[in-house]
Amino acid sequence: MQDTEQMKWALLIGTLAMLMMAFFVISFVIYYQKKKFEEEKKLNEIEKNYSKLLLDTALNSEETERRRIAQDLHDDIGTMLSLTKLSLNQLSKRITENGEKEDQIMRKAQSLVEETILHVRRITRELVPTTLERFGLAEAIDEFIHKLEEGNNLTICFQPGEEELPRQGQKIELTLYRIMQELVNNAIKHGQCSKIEISLEMSKDFIGLRVADNGIGFDPDMIKEGKLAGLGLLGIESRLAIVNGTVQYSKNATGGSTALTQIPMQAVSNSKPEPLHPFRRERVTL
Amino acid sequence: MLQKYLFYFQYDLLSSISVIITLVPITLIYQRKAYADPSFRLLLLFLLVKLIIDLLMFHCAATRVNNLVLFNVTIIFRYILMSGMFYYKFENKQVTKFIMPLSVGFSFFTLWDIWYCNPDILNLHLHQIVKYSLTVESLLMIFWILLYFKELIGSLKVPNLLTFPFFWICSGLLLYYSSLIFIAPTLHYATQWDVRLDIGLLDRIPYIFDIISITLISLGISLFSARYYARH
Repeated sequence: MQDTEQMKWALLIGTLAMLMMAFFVISFVIYYQKKKFEEEKKLNEIEKNYSKLLLDTALNSEETERRRIAQDLHDDIGTMLSLTKLSLNQLSKRITENGEKEDQIMRKAQSLVEETILHVRRITRELVPTTLERFGLAEAIDEFIHKLEEGNNLTICFQPGEEELPRQGQKIELTLYRIMQELVNNAIKHGQCSKIEISLEMSKDFIGLRVADNGIGFDPDMIKEGKLAGLGLLGIESRLAIVNGTVQYSKNATGGSTALTQIPMQAVSNSKPEPLHPFRRERVTL
Repeated sequence: MLQKYLFYFQYDLLSSISVIITLVPITLIYQRKAYADPSFRLLLLFLLVKLIIDLLMFHCAATRVNNLVLFNVTIIFRYILMSGMFYYKFENKQVTKFIMPLSVGFSFFTLWDIWYCNPDILNLHLHQIVKYSLTVESLLMIFWILLYFKELIGSLKVPNLLTFPFFWICSGLLLYYSSLIFIAPTLHYATQWDVRLDIGLLDRIPYIFDIISITLISLGISLFSARYYARH
């Protein structure tokens, strides 16, 4: 009888111990999984921030390099070409007196130098969008499309929005400008379009840039499958990742495609953006 | 007959509830379309087998007929189907290749155990519960569950375990088998037809945890989403 009682107690204690262990295992799995997930999330966040920082640094370096090349073109090549033009003008006066053939060659040389000066100015402006930093995004886009229309059989409409877009941070404006450049270039190069519509849309929290074309268009699902990586779309996404922006592509019902970029509004700092021109580099006295 | 059933239902309320409660997860599996998942299909099969055998056992108990042969047979079905669920759930193929041979081995072991405990196998009136198989089944199932939990933690594929259906099914099974592991060997002596060992309320523990485990399994099934399953 006593043995049975002892056995019952032993069984009860053993069973309770096993049940406690089971409860402990279940609680531990829940707790450990939650903790490990939080750690993983933090680690991913750090990795994401680090990648973002690397990307930001790379893009900054690219912009700095563009600025340096523009400075060199403007200060060195530009100045030298201006001096060459001046010298040619002086030489031209002397040659005119001597012979017609030499005059023709001189005029050709002058014209070539003038053309080169124009090319250098264009390249300099393309490298560093000075209008963007001086007058803002709407004016910069306006200038860009006017220049583009000049040399192409293309109609580009630009709607800067109902309200005047307040100045944004330099990074935001530059990002939107570069994305606009990329999308327009894509529409011309790959979309084979004849008309492009660009619009700036402003909401309470976001600035939107919509670029629509009437070209051949593309299937947005192909981006997810990575089949359109060559269109510079990765570059667009990389730029957007830094400013927490998004981009959505869609196929138009009437043909062509539309890209809508949205970037969160950023408070404008009081400090004026650093001017690109006149360049700050100290001039070397010859 | 109905009176006998009603009388037995009132007489052994706990075991009767453990029979009826099986209808809850079965209904939920159909309602949530959980049968889309092969593991849940096996669970459904197990629950249907369990319900049929439990109803037969209820009928035998109500009519004072030894039903332990049905209980012994359930052990084989239960282990094959329950461990089969893990066959589909484990991602580590090194582990899954052991599940089927172990099921076959366990089935032969249980058959041997039944024959060992009941030398006169045709005498169903004095049929006894197996001595070792229940404990071995509990050990094996606890082993699979713990191994699955380890894989679950290691893979980090489930962001929130509390909304993961199979976690609750494993929890229910873990509690059930943990409650059974020590009591299982004594059931052989405590449930004999002629000379029985009185273990008091301890023989109620399997029923209590059967109800708890079925409740947790039902909770897990209720969290199942066919759309979520299709996406993954």
